[in-house]
Amino acid sequence: MSVRQNVTVIVERDRPAHGQFATEPYECGWAAEAIFFIRKLQAGDQLVGQQLRVQISPDGIRWSDEGARLTFSEGEVDFVRAAHFGNWLRLAGGLPDEADSRVLVALSLKE
Amino acid sequence: MSFHTAQVPSRFDPLPRIVFYDDFDLGLQGWSELVGNYEGTLDSMLPEYRDLRPPMLSNGTMWDTGSAGSLEGLYALKLATRARAGHLAVSIKRATWRHRGPIRLEAYFTFKPEATELLLSELDVRAFGVLFDIQDAEYRWMPHFRYLNAVAGEQRAQWQFKRQREPFAPIGGSGKTRSHFHLAPTGWEDVPDGRQLLCYNEIPTKYNWHYLRVDLDLATRAMTRLQCNDRVLALAGVGPMMIPAMSNLWCMLNVAWWVETDVDKRAFLYLDSVALSGDWA
Repeated sequence: MSVRQNVTVIVERDRPAHGQFATEPYECGWAAEAIFFIRKLQAGDQLVGQQLRVQISPDGIRWSDEGARLTFSEGEVDFVRAAHFGNWLRLAGGLPDEADSRVLVALSLKE
Repeated sequence: MSFHTAQVPSRFDPLPRIVFYDDFDLGLQGWSELVGNYEGTLDSMLPEYRDLRPPMLSNGTMWDTGSAGSLEGLYALKLATRARAGHLAVSIKRATWRHRGPIRLEAYFTFKPEATELLLSELDVRAFGVLFDIQDAEYRWMPHFRYLNAVAGEQRAQWQFKRQREPFAPIGGSGKTRSHFHLAPTGWEDVPDGRQLLCYNEIPTKYNWHYLRVDLDLATRAMTRLQCNDRVLALAGVGPMMIPAMSNLWCMLNVAWWVETDVDKRAFLYLDSVALSGDWA
């Protein structure tokens, strides 16, 4: 039986979600599809409606917006999907300086 | 990629029993991020353990030359620090042992700083290393080796070991969980005659693969051999951290790799392949 590789990594854990926010670069050129999940570890009313952008990169150093955006809801978990992204992925954007939530960012990858 | 076991190639010299052989062209192969112990809340974790970064599969893509691939194939396991001096990335594989006898870890590796500057950058990676976390009926013992590349911009090129224990701290309130940050920068000692210059190459986007071998004897709790490429280091006087056996770690056999940056720039450790072998009837 042949099964597809599927890996979840925690690219940020217990990280304050305010100000300029970017997850660490993650190499995943082997994967064809990805989902960034963000889980609020504490209630984060200031985050509701805020957005983060999926970004791609030719080298892990320089970044461009891929087009997909994650919008924070009132729920605990939000997500954004990406595909056809090359070799690197990250999630980036500006969040309110006063936001006091901490987040866990999981990146789920599949061949 | 597909799931199957690769044959151990002849560039390895394994003992008769293969505990695992990991060719990272086949996937992450069970290597994951090390995380500290916690209870009730992540805030109970020792600060040094909170952010040791997930490993990834890298095809060695460089901004100037594209994908370098690995020693054999395309993908290597990549550990990446944050771009913050002193930060570590640590990846671990957790197993258990079935016989107290010789074991051998072999790997093909390389290390580099992130190529964010058009400079040689050969002193930007502080160190990389490998450790074991083993427990038998009497002791938890932890052999640690690292290659100290540079400190504060000064080349060291020195193999080191660590037997000094770090203090245990209670975690949470149940009394069941403790933690110690054994990768702290304190207490490292030089392996005798352990200075070795490695092939860094001439710009940060060129990397060369190196061979590393570590032999242990689980029966005598001894570190019996450290070899990197052509150098076999004498290990007289070299020993592991020794801790009285702990309550939930029986027969533990963990292996972990790490890399540490000396500057505000990401440091990378790449592993093409890793073999752990042993000798038992």
